[in-house]
Amino acid sequence: MSRRARLIAGAVLVALVQIGFLAWIIAGRAAILRDGAEIRLTVEPVDPRDLLRGDYVRLTYNISTVQSALFDSGVLADHRGAGGERLCIGLDPDEDGIARAVSIRPANDAGRAAETGAVEICGKATGVWSGAQGRNLRLEYGIERFYLPEGEGRAIERDLGLRAFTVVVAVGADGQAQIKALYDGETKLYEEPLY
Amino acid sequence: MNYAARVKNDIGRWRSRGWIDASAAERMTRDVEKRAARTLGFGAILAVLAAILFAAAILIFIAANWEAIAHLVRVAMLFMLIFAGYVGGAVLKSRGLDGAGEGAWIVAAAAFGGAIALIAQMYHLSGEEADAVFTWGAGVALAALVLRSPALTVVCVALSGVWLSFAIAEIDMRQPFGPAVGYPVVAAILWSLSLWTASRPSRHLLLLLLIYYGLLQYLRADDPAVAIAVAAVSVGYFVLCALRPRMAERLLAIGQARVHGLIGFGAAMMLLQLRFGDGTAFALLAFLTFAGAVAALVLGGRDSAPVRWLAYLLFAVELCVVYLATIGTMLGTAGFLLAAALLLAAIATVIFRFERRLRDEQNREGART
Repeated sequence: MSRRARLIAGAVLVALVQIGFLAWIIAGRAAILRDGAEIRLTVEPVDPRDLLRGDYVRLTYNISTVQSALFDSGVLADHRGAGGERLCIGLDPDEDGIARAVSIRPANDAGRAAETGAVEICGKATGVWSGAQGRNLRLEYGIERFYLPEGEGRAIERDLGLRAFTVVVAVGADGQAQIKALYDGETKLYEEPLY
Repeated sequence: MNYAARVKNDIGRWRSRGWIDASAAERMTRDVEKRAARTLGFGAILAVLAAILFAAAILIFIAANWEAIAHLVRVAMLFMLIFAGYVGGAVLKSRGLDGAGEGAWIVAAAAFGGAIALIAQMYHLSGEEADAVFTWGAGVALAALVLRSPALTVVCVALSGVWLSFAIAEIDMRQPFGPAVGYPVVAAILWSLSLWTASRPSRHLLLLLLIYYGLLQYLRADDPAVAIAVAAVSVGYFVLCALRPRMAERLLAIGQARVHGLIGFGAAMMLLQLRFGDGTAFALLAFLTFAGAVAALVLGGRDSAPVRWLAYLLFAVELCVVYLATIGTMLGTAGFLLAAALLLAAIATVIFRFERRLRDEQNREGART
């Protein structure tokens, strides 16, 4: 092969590897949206000064903090909870259809996977602190941002403090979560297409 | 005056003194001009600058999240740009248009990064920025490796610096130094890459980033020992480069290697002085900084203009620091500066005599031959 042909072949290879990698991520995310179990979470207002950073709104949820009552004594007795461990939360919808946290387990502890067949969402522990009802554990599920077209963030940021917003989230079989739609009360504000 | 202009001046002088004949002067001038043209192709530089602007336009366009074009169309546009950029760049480069080819590759690399950001936007992913930048940088490193591109190597090193800045801020209780503790490993890999792609600017940037890394770790650990280590390593590195320039050039292949030692030393000393602010420790640090600037000038300033100017700068900045912070009282500062001035004057006298004796010997030898 000539030097020229080798260079162009290399360029095609690099382009295909990069495009293939990106397409693989997109396919994985679309699969969660398409096949994932649907749950509904309420959005809780965050400190309004920190809500909007650039082109996305920061969201926290009713399951962003879980209380120690859930900590099955054996599972998390020696758990420091601030080291970025992956944990899975078992969810159960209440009468309004909002998912509530009912159980917790370390993600790598498959033996403790929910026997009930309930939906499980997995996330990263980011902090632990003691509150009035015992210990609280803070979690991030990778769905804490909602990207918006430039300039549309302020209005939502303002309304978040006034009314109850909910999101519909798709959860994949491995516990990975993804935002499907954002609701202002019963009004659907945004719904994400598969692609 | 740059090197080419200076040599041409010298050639003219040698010619007028009759040391070389007209044809030799002509050939030498042409050789100098040819070399200068090879190192400084403004067409290539402008092409790369245009590519950087184009790349920035892509990234900010993605950030704007413009709804008039559907997500999937935007993804397809970026995929096409990636493909066209890499392949088009290879075609341009194989026709000898190096600058334009490298520029096209930079655009393709930016499109890859833009696509990562766009996917995060499409699916509202809120993972760590550091991970996204790392993925981007790994993709660019692959491209630089396969295409043997010096420009992409620089892009990759710059991305490693961005990654370092994000990763160092991450809080992780299990690792007191955070996930960025592995940066020297990343730097070593990129260093090898820069040797493969013959990208000297990448190595300069990597040395600066290693200094940045050391100082960030100091700020994170809040332990003066880390900054002292940065200063000490910088001094050792400088001395080694100044005493064994040929060995340093063989190991580092960088030219002007010792500049980085002076930068590391100066930056670490400034941070340390900020910490101590006053008292004996401050006076000692101020003294060491002055001594370092002067030593750098004497040891490495003769054949390195950057070292010379950087030493002057460090000296001037240190003078301002001492003047503003004051050592104890204004009177104390005056005493400190007086002592430093006397010491420096004494050193200057010694060096002056030494230089004169050296010049005399050279003149005598010149007269003999």
